[in-house]
Amino acid sequence: MLLSRDLRDTAALANHLTLKYEVRVSPLAFDLCSEPLCFDTIDESLLDHLPLKGLLMPIGANDMNDAVGLCPEKLEYISTANYLAPCKLLNHYLPALEKNAGLIAGFGSVASARGRSRNAAYSAAKRALDSYFESLAHYSAKRAFSSQYYILGYLDTNLAFSQNLLFPVASPDRIADVVYSRRSTNGRLFLPRHWYILYRIMQFLPWTIFRRLSF
Amino acid sequence: MIDDLVRETRFTTFDGALSVATSHQRPDRFSHLELPDIGVHRIPRGGGYSYSAASFGENALVQEMTCFNRFLEFNPEELTLKLEAGVRLIDLMEWALSRQLYFPVLPGYPLITVGGCIAADVHGKNPYKDGTFSDWVKEITVFHPQKGYQLCSAQSRSDLFAMTCGGYGLTGVITDVTLQLAQLPASSIALSRTRVDSLEAAISVLSSSDADITYSWHDACHGSNFGRGIVYNGRWYDEGAQIQPMRFRPMTADTRASLRFCAWNGLSARCVNTAMILRSRYLKRASVMSILDASFPFASNVYFHKLFGRRGLSESQMLVDEDRIVGFLEALQKLVTDMRAPTMMLSIKRFRGAQKSLSMSGAGYLVAVDCYRNHRTDDFLHRLDELMLEVGGQPNLSKDSRLPEDIARMSIASFSEFERDLFDYDSERTMRSELSARLGLL
Repeated sequence: MLLSRDLRDTAALANHLTLKYEVRVSPLAFDLCSEPLCFDTIDESLLDHLPLKGLLMPIGANDMNDAVGLCPEKLEYISTANYLAPCKLLNHYLPALEKNAGLIAGFGSVASARGRSRNAAYSAAKRALDSYFESLAHYSAKRAFSSQYYILGYLDTNLAFSQNLLFPVASPDRIADVVYSRRSTNGRLFLPRHWYILYRIMQFLPWTIFRRLSF
Repeated sequence: MIDDLVRETRFTTFDGALSVATSHQRPDRFSHLELPDIGVHRIPRGGGYSYSAASFGENALVQEMTCFNRFLEFNPEELTLKLEAGVRLIDLMEWALSRQLYFPVLPGYPLITVGGCIAADVHGKNPYKDGTFSDWVKEITVFHPQKGYQLCSAQSRSDLFAMTCGGYGLTGVITDVTLQLAQLPASSIALSRTRVDSLEAAISVLSSSDADITYSWHDACHGSNFGRGIVYNGRWYDEGAQIQPMRFRPMTADTRASLRFCAWNGLSARCVNTAMILRSRYLKRASVMSILDASFPFASNVYFHKLFGRRGLSESQMLVDEDRIVGFLEALQKLVTDMRAPTMMLSIKRFRGAQKSLSMSGAGYLVAVDCYRNHRTDDFLHRLDELMLEVGGQPNLSKDSRLPEDIARMSIASFSEFERDLFDYDSERTMRSELSARLGLL
């Protein structure tokens, strides 16, 4: 089952997956930033796909003007899209996934390495998600379900296209292949993998140097 | 949020002749496609392999459709496939071949998109047998910012359908397309070579050919070897082998121009052309290759284009009536000899069809001339335009980055009709490109 805000997009993707990979896919229009968040429509549609064996959450939103001092509406939107909504979704389906020995995959960002003046709300929300998934991993350690957390670098999406970036962008298809191939494992992984080194360098960069950087 | 999704990008034509920096959006969902202010001038873009600047222009938002690349619906009884306009030909073919189907009209590069093929109404390896791309299109959805999504076909809203096929994106953004596929006759193509000593001899071979793929290649350097060449005839051949996915390194307008200098000149062109002719003597008369290799020869052979370097190349294609082709080729040879033209190679295909919109189609022979760039190139191409007008030929707008408005108006039979219909359809002229500005379609 595929969820997105616009049914036209999910319906097209569902048809594509059915035609290309001969799998049964149901599209559903659902806005994770809506209030109050109610999962009844998803639960109803899921009846055709039981048992639930996996929950993949490549969810997020960004804003070009995201910086310290962002207006409350945008701050709330970014926090909800990147942190609260994935956690609420995860919590709702955790019992079913635990029972079916399923998979939960969350997707973070290398932006969460250090708080910068740019992307302040986004990186804070992703760091919160990172912490929540660490808790989930701890929780899953003695249980049958799998918990994975991917920290993503530059991806070839419409946020990164035609930009002069420091490092090459990775194909989302390639990321999907990795997630699929690791579907029965636990853990935390940087994709592309060289971002692990860059992430650590950023984290251990002394404040006296970090505060002078402009990016 | 729309500002997040628009960048400033420099676009270059595939021939390297024109370069423009303009705003650029790559929508991956319908809301992004619809978001920009409806008053903004825009133009859709596919893979970016056109030699003319049909997919970008000054002060026009480029909407790159490569993320609209999903397969939508397949009808196994009628063998029709509905897919989004950004699907690349290689993806279409790999999907179809795995179901023992194929699409018959394929231009030479696999990363060209289906939407781009419709906009330029491209041709394949045997337009005499298969027609042009639009002959295999059943239905199109066109998005226009002021008119919304419009479904059109040869039966319903046929005026919009006719304007869109070969309309270079000027009617709107093609979002999805229904194509007619065909049963795959065999897994491979047996490609035979016939050496010819002149262009006239090639016409004679091509006119009597009933092969599935048929075209010719010729030495076009001025001098005694002008016109020597090879006629390729391909037929379906079942060797029982499974079709392997194609492996190649993608070439774009930027990577094509990675060489700082142009390696092609009179000497290098003569050497390579002579080597091609000599090589054909020692090769087997027929070689068997997969349908993908036969359809997309430029995927594995990128050197021809890359060696033009940053300076780029010039190509001119014209369709000449069957009755006048021999006279045209004689006049072309004289022009090349008299001007010591910077021509390198030439190819010929037989055509059949009906001209419409800005597309190139009709009964006759397509002659494609490739030149390296030097101080004589522009003058030669101008004289070639005049020669084309003398014989009533039609130009191929997608393969010529400099064809002037007056030549296009005089040589494209339905130009005035297309212009009138386009202005009736969209008096604001929302969709704009360098090509439309050059042709006076503003």
